[in-house]
Amino acid sequence: MTETALTSLLLVDDEASLREPLAEYLVRQGFDVQQAVSAAAARSLLRETVPDLVLLDVMMPGEDGLSLCRHLVEARQLPVILLTAKGEATDRIIGLEIGADDYVTKPFEPRELVARIRSVLRRAGRASSTRLADSPYEFEGWQLDPLKRRLTDPEGVLVSISTAEFRLLRAFLDHPRQVLDRDQLLNMVQGREAHLFDRAVDNQISRLRRKIEADSRNPEYIVTVRGGGYRFAAKVSRPLPDKD
Amino acid sequence: MRLWPRSLRGQILLAATLAILLAQCVTAVLLYRAAENRRDSAMLNAAALQLVRISEPQETTRFERRRVQRARRNRGETIDRPRLAPRLPRPIRLEWVDKPAQVEGDQPQYGREEELLALLQSQGVAVAEILVIERKASADPIVAARPRLRARMGREGLDNRNFLVAAVRREGAAQWAVARVPEPEVQRGVQRTILFQTLVIFLLLTSSLFFFLRRITRPLAALADRTERFTARQQAGEPLAAEGPEDIQRLIRAHNAMEARISGLIDEKDVMLGAIGHDLKTPLAALRVRIESVEDESEREKMAAVIEDITRSLDDILSLARVGKGNEPPELTDLAALTAAVVEEFEDRGMPVHIIDHPRIVRPVYVTWLRRALRNLISNAVRYGNEATVSLLEDNKKIILRIDDTGPGIDDDRIADMLEPFTRGEASRNRATGGAGLGLTLARSIAEQHGGELVLTNRAEGGLRAEISLPNA
Repeated sequence: MTETALTSLLLVDDEASLREPLAEYLVRQGFDVQQAVSAAAARSLLRETVPDLVLLDVMMPGEDGLSLCRHLVEARQLPVILLTAKGEATDRIIGLEIGADDYVTKPFEPRELVARIRSVLRRAGRASSTRLADSPYEFEGWQLDPLKRRLTDPEGVLVSISTAEFRLLRAFLDHPRQVLDRDQLLNMVQGREAHLFDRAVDNQISRLRRKIEADSRNPEYIVTVRGGGYRFAAKVSRPLPDKD
Repeated sequence: MRLWPRSLRGQILLAATLAILLAQCVTAVLLYRAAENRRDSAMLNAAALQLVRISEPQETTRFERRRVQRARRNRGETIDRPRLAPRLPRPIRLEWVDKPAQVEGDQPQYGREEELLALLQSQGVAVAEILVIERKASADPIVAARPRLRARMGREGLDNRNFLVAAVRREGAAQWAVARVPEPEVQRGVQRTILFQTLVIFLLLTSSLFFFLRRITRPLAALADRTERFTARQQAGEPLAAEGPEDIQRLIRAHNAMEARISGLIDEKDVMLGAIGHDLKTPLAALRVRIESVEDESEREKMAAVIEDITRSLDDILSLARVGKGNEPPELTDLAALTAAVVEEFEDRGMPVHIIDHPRIVRPVYVTWLRRALRNLISNAVRYGNEATVSLLEDNKKIILRIDDTGPGIDDDRIADMLEPFTRGEASRNRATGGAGLGLTLARSIAEQHGGELVLTNRAEGGLRAEISLPNA
């Protein structure tokens, strides 16, 4: 195995009690891990080496994680996962809005962190512009904000959807007017929480229909294709976000 | 219309009005008495004047009398009459009799007799005998005997009045001189004056009082509003300007200080809880990473579960500190979809949670919080009550999010306790299921944040019913 095959991570956290065992754990998981105790230390390390991904604690003395995150995303185009002790939705959204690719709240399951690292790296490898992934989808006046996972109807009313429904809808919106069979859908929506999709896709679809269709027995958006699966019938657009 | 005023201003105005009316009544009585007294003494004076002037009967012709009167007028001599004295009708000529006639209905006036006596004596009249009575004018024999006088009485409307009849025999005189003074009309002016006075005083006093009171009640009302707002939100704003009289200003300043102190304490508490949360979560995260190296898988699972428990309790505590203090406004949300989404989370984890479908209800709510409350109630129902059935109900007044379970319910006398922080149903048995016992407290706080309430009841068919009822505005 050559050195370049190893995925390199930079772990920035002022708490040695967490940083050290986490670094050990990640090394055991096959990552090359460098550690920094502060944003300043991270910046000087970055001058020498460029990691594949940065794990960043939000609350640090001196320059905080969010500020460093902005720099990493804007100036260096590095993928960032935030480690945060705050569980509030608004705190997470701020992190995502300034460009972090994902976040985990402390205390996190180490295995989940690894899964997210891999998923972020996969995404980063696929698309050079990760920003597009965050712009909202629009169809028939409905809006789906992928960042906040918010679905609003044409009147702006928030329609709550579960994670499973969000993924399913997003799969449809990514492939409008295409016939998608159950296997394809399952593939597309299977994320890190695969167990969420133990239930049949059909079941999720009927739930989604109840929320977005005027008459769920006579659907206009998610249409059943005889013998084939489902097709999203409405026109989907993705206006690019106003910011750069 | 409400007769009894409830506001401070109304009550003070009412009290002032009553006080003015009472004072004016007393004044009116006093004024009336004074007028009566003046009338009385005027009559006695008039009688005395007649009796003093002429000591012996003398025949005077009408011509002579007029001459005397004219001469007196020319000299500028008038009968001394105080400005307020009642206007007396013209006197009736003195009568000379051997013995004053007594008529039926005569009312002897002993008090006036003495007054008249004193009056005459002070003018140097030696009185041998005196008699003062009051008599109905129409009953007086002199009126009956003199048709011209009778006509005059009719003209001047004196028929129904009384005469003050004063008879005096001087020392050494054989005959009595009898003077008759018709009672003057009761003055209407007095009542009118009092009425007018009352009205003026009333208007002046109440209108000035009205504006003065406004100086007090306006800052009081502002203070009341402010206190209500602070109670609802516990967020200190700009200190209230101290207005009005000094007492009120002191109250306002005291309120400002209290508000600042309370919100300072609350802020301190929030900062402290946040710090605790952060400081505990980092070591917990470290612990969570370290247990990954534990070889025994079942042991590792148990450790992970304990850490998860602590984390959940910590989250509940932090949420309880934060609920109701969000800066975000409520959002228009489809409550049916919200309920369904929460139920689906449980369904997806294979938990026995059912939902009864309901058409859209769109209301502004704090979505994250309401979702949290629902989650707490449903997970309680599953944990303690086997399974949960979730339904949404709506009537004119309320929207109800109802969670029914089929468990043993809660003893009625324990229901209120269950909503208090750190209380758990049958603590020993459910210790293993974790949580800080804050789930219901948090759900209640969230219901209250929406202006509603959380109600727990035991269902007749068994099981507990938890309802978040929101005002349907």
